[in-house]
Amino acid sequence: MLVLGGIILLHVTTIILLLVATIDNAWWITDTVSTDLWGRWELSNNLWHFTNLKNYPEDYLQAIQATAVLSCIFAILALFVFVAQLFTLPKGQRFTFTGILQLIACLCIMIAASIYTAQLHASETEGGYGHSYVLAWISFVFTLFLAVTYLVLRKKSE
Amino acid sequence: MLTVLALASVVLLGIVPDPSQAIVIYTGWERHALLGSDVRLSCSFFSWRWTSDDVTFSWTYRPDGSKDSISIFHYTGGMAYVDNKGPFRDRLEFVGNPGRRDGSILLKNLDFSDNGTFTCDAKNPPDIVGRPQSSPLRRVPIQAGVITGAIIGVVLGLLVLIVVIYYLMRFLVARRVFSLSVSKHGKKKKEGSQQRQGPAPPADPSKVKAAASEKKKQESRKDKK
Repeated sequence: MLVLGGIILLHVTTIILLLVATIDNAWWITDTVSTDLWGRWELSNNLWHFTNLKNYPEDYLQAIQATAVLSCIFAILALFVFVAQLFTLPKGQRFTFTGILQLIACLCIMIAASIYTAQLHASETEGGYGHSYVLAWISFVFTLFLAVTYLVLRKKSE
Repeated sequence: MLTVLALASVVLLGIVPDPSQAIVIYTGWERHALLGSDVRLSCSFFSWRWTSDDVTFSWTYRPDGSKDSISIFHYTGGMAYVDNKGPFRDRLEFVGNPGRRDGSILLKNLDFSDNGTFTCDAKNPPDIVGRPQSSPLRRVPIQAGVITGAIIGVVLGLLVLIVVIYYLMRFLVARRVFSLSVSKHGKKKKEGSQQRQGPAPPADPSKVKAAASEKKKQESRKDKK
C-alpha cells in the first residue's frame, strides 16, 4: 500500500515537473533575460517584457517544443492507464502498457533536453541554464525510474 | 432678406473648400502577416484631376506604442526614394504604378519589430487637400509551429493507431479461440495471457465482453486442469 502511494506520488510529482519545465520560459537565464521554448522575458527599467524569440533555428526549437509537450501528454496518459490497470489487470501481471507510455515520455523529454543542450545557446558566454532546464533533466530521471518500476512491478496476487 | 442670403452664400462658398478638389486616399485593411514573409502595403487615391507628373506618395511608419512616426518612403518627380538608414533599410521596394495612381510598397522579410501603423499620403498637385490613410500591420507571432503540431499529431496518431490495432488483434484472437481444437487452445491461451497484461482500459464494450468471456473460459480451463 505504501509502495503504491509512493509510486503514485512520484508519478504526479513527475507530471508537475514536466509541466513546469514545458510551460515556464526559463530554460536559459541571464541577469536580465529569461527565455525559451515559447517566448522571452526581458527586464528593462525594472519591468519584464514578453517578446518573441529571435534568430533561433526554427526546426530545432519546434522539435523541442513538440517533444516537451509530448512528454507531458504521455506522462499524464501513463498515470491514467496505471490507475485503470490497477483495477483491471489480472493478478501477477506486469504494468507493461503504463511502463511503455512512461518510457516514451522519458524518451521525449530526453530528446527535448538533448536537442536544447546541443543546438541552442551552445556558444553563449553570458548566462546559464534556468530552472526549467534543470527540471527537464530531473523529470527525465524520474520518468526513467518510474518506467523501469512499472515494467518490473507485478500486481499483487493475494 | 435676399441680399443677406446672397451675401451669406457667397461667404460660405468662399470659406468651404470645394469637396471635388479633395483627394481621397485608399489603403488596405489591417494586415496580419507571418514572420519573414513579404507584405504588400497598398495605397491608391481618387482625385478629380488628371494624374499630374508631380504626383507624390509618402509612407510613414509609427511603431506600436510609440507616438513618433518616421518617414520610410517617398516618391516624387518620377523617382522612388526608399528608407536606407532606418529599420526598413534594404527591405522596401516600390511596386506601385504612379501612372495608375497606385503607390504600393512591398515590405520584405517581416521582422520581429515591424508591428505598427503604416500611413500613406498621396498628393496630386494641385489636388493636395486630403487625409492620409493608415494601414496597421500586425505580425503574427511564431505560430506554435507547423513542425511542432505535425510532430505531436503524428506521434499521438500513431499511438491511437497502435492501440486500436492491438485491441483488434486481441478481439480477433479471442474469437478464434472458440473455434479451434484443444491443443491450439493451449497455445492461444499462453499468447492470450501474455497479451492480456497490455492495454487494460477497455475501448469497446463488445471487446470487454469478449475479453471477459475469454478470461472466464481460460480460468475455467485452468480450474479443470
